[in-house]
Amino acid sequence: MLWLFALIAGVLFGLYYGLAALGLNLIFGVMRMVNLAHGDVIMLGGFAAVLLFDHFGVNPLITVLLVIPPSLLVGYLTYYLLGRRVQRSRDPEMMSLVMFFGVSQVIEAVAVIAFGNNEASITSAVFGTRPFSIAGQGVPGAWLVSAGVGLVALVLLFLYLYRTSLGRATRAIMSSPDEARAVGVNPDRISALTFGIGVGLAAIAGILSLFMIGGTTPSEGVDLTVTAFAVIVLGGLGSPMGTFLGGIVFGLALMFTQTYAPVWSGFAPFAILLVIMLLRPTGLLGRTVRSV
Amino acid sequence: MVASPALQVSGLTRSFGGLPALAGVDLELRPGEVVGLLGPNGSGKTTLINVVSGVYRPTSGRVELLGHDATGQAPERLVRLGLNRTFQTPRPFRPLTVLENVQVALRHGRDAAQSPEEILELCGLGGQGGLPAESLNSSQQKRLDLARALATAPEVLLVDELAAGMRHDELDGAAELLRQLAAAGRALLVVEHLMGFVRQVTDRVVVLNAGTTIFAGSLEEASQDPHVVEVFLGA
Repeated sequence: MLWLFALIAGVLFGLYYGLAALGLNLIFGVMRMVNLAHGDVIMLGGFAAVLLFDHFGVNPLITVLLVIPPSLLVGYLTYYLLGRRVQRSRDPEMMSLVMFFGVSQVIEAVAVIAFGNNEASITSAVFGTRPFSIAGQGVPGAWLVSAGVGLVALVLLFLYLYRTSLGRATRAIMSSPDEARAVGVNPDRISALTFGIGVGLAAIAGILSLFMIGGTTPSEGVDLTVTAFAVIVLGGLGSPMGTFLGGIVFGLALMFTQTYAPVWSGFAPFAILLVIMLLRPTGLLGRTVRSV
Repeated sequence: MVASPALQVSGLTRSFGGLPALAGVDLELRPGEVVGLLGPNGSGKTTLINVVSGVYRPTSGRVELLGHDATGQAPERLVRLGLNRTFQTPRPFRPLTVLENVQVALRHGRDAAQSPEEILELCGLGGQGGLPAESLNSSQQKRLDLARALATAPEVLLVDELAAGMRHDELDGAAELLRQLAAAGRALLVVEHLMGFVRQVTDRVVVLNAGTTIFAGSLEEASQDPHVVEVFLGA
């Protein structure tokens, strides 16, 4: 029955990884920019939760709500100060790599100065949940809470994209930016909002990472960005719904190898990524985003 | 009294890498008028539409739209001022349904008096709103492109090769639709290669060659103009 544990834990982790990667894919889909500072925003979300809990006793689930307004503001400002210039360059994808690599380094350096190099965490008992057992393997209740938050975020994002006029405009820009402008869609407005949503989703994932991964350090941003990038490539660049599927595949690969062959657990998810790239270069639910 | 122009283009130039694609084009469109824009491939027809609709900034010259200076304005701004265009190769928002494509335009354009369903019906896509846009054939995609443009309630509409790729039995309907739009007071600039369609639709024509205007007048006069004949037939 170990497989049942791996399956359930894989899906729970998959929802977390899907959430962690979602903002990166939204920003890429709308702006064709790769935000290499995405993992650093996840890290900052984790530290925000730790600071609010340590100093004010704020429950991390409350922090999930609290980070949304400042994230939208930061996203707006980042887009108008940096993103718009990158987007108007001749090669926004390449320029965004350079620009946001720099932003990532700055965030990491400032975070080290502010928080030190030690790992920060919050006890999972904060949720008041008890661990339960599947096939003799302990599953923290906090995993369920984190996956639940990820699922709620997915549903809300789905409703935004498919049931609101702004969401339709967002999908229109993701599909054909020039034609979207030709029917009056303001790309700056949609891009700034999308950047804000992307930052918010990353910050929320950072809060949950305290319980899924176990803590946060200023230097983990790069690893988180790499993982998030692998997930969106798996699911399909520019496909928000594919991101969650990619997250589930990534989570299952991770948990099955951690259960049956732990030595390979750092390798298997990326091996699956390579296989899927060979068999389906657009990712699981992706469309061609560039032609050669 | 002659109505003041809905669109006035004066001395418009646009160069790419030093090569002029437009070299001082003048054009005037009045409300209710359909003007055909003719010329051989590479004469600057689509470039003119792209510059007027904000896709490219002009190198020099002026575009006046409904009395406003619209030179070099962004496409989304021009939509709000009352100008829209269709594309030679339309690209619908593929993941959206046909209806959603029109809804996006309705939401972000000027206030249209019609519902999205009515606009689709007008463009021959009635009852197909629920289909994914990516399932449409090329003729239907052109109709959807026109429907999206109409959903923004333009007073000036630039139509780039709407008839190309349409079946023979669809052409009369498309021509009738364009005439209806003009009868409702809109000014239309129609780029087209099918002379029968141009004859059905336009009030007068402007002929471009190598980025300059070589003729302006009726289609009948154009067909007898030695310069136009030489450009089209090489004789």
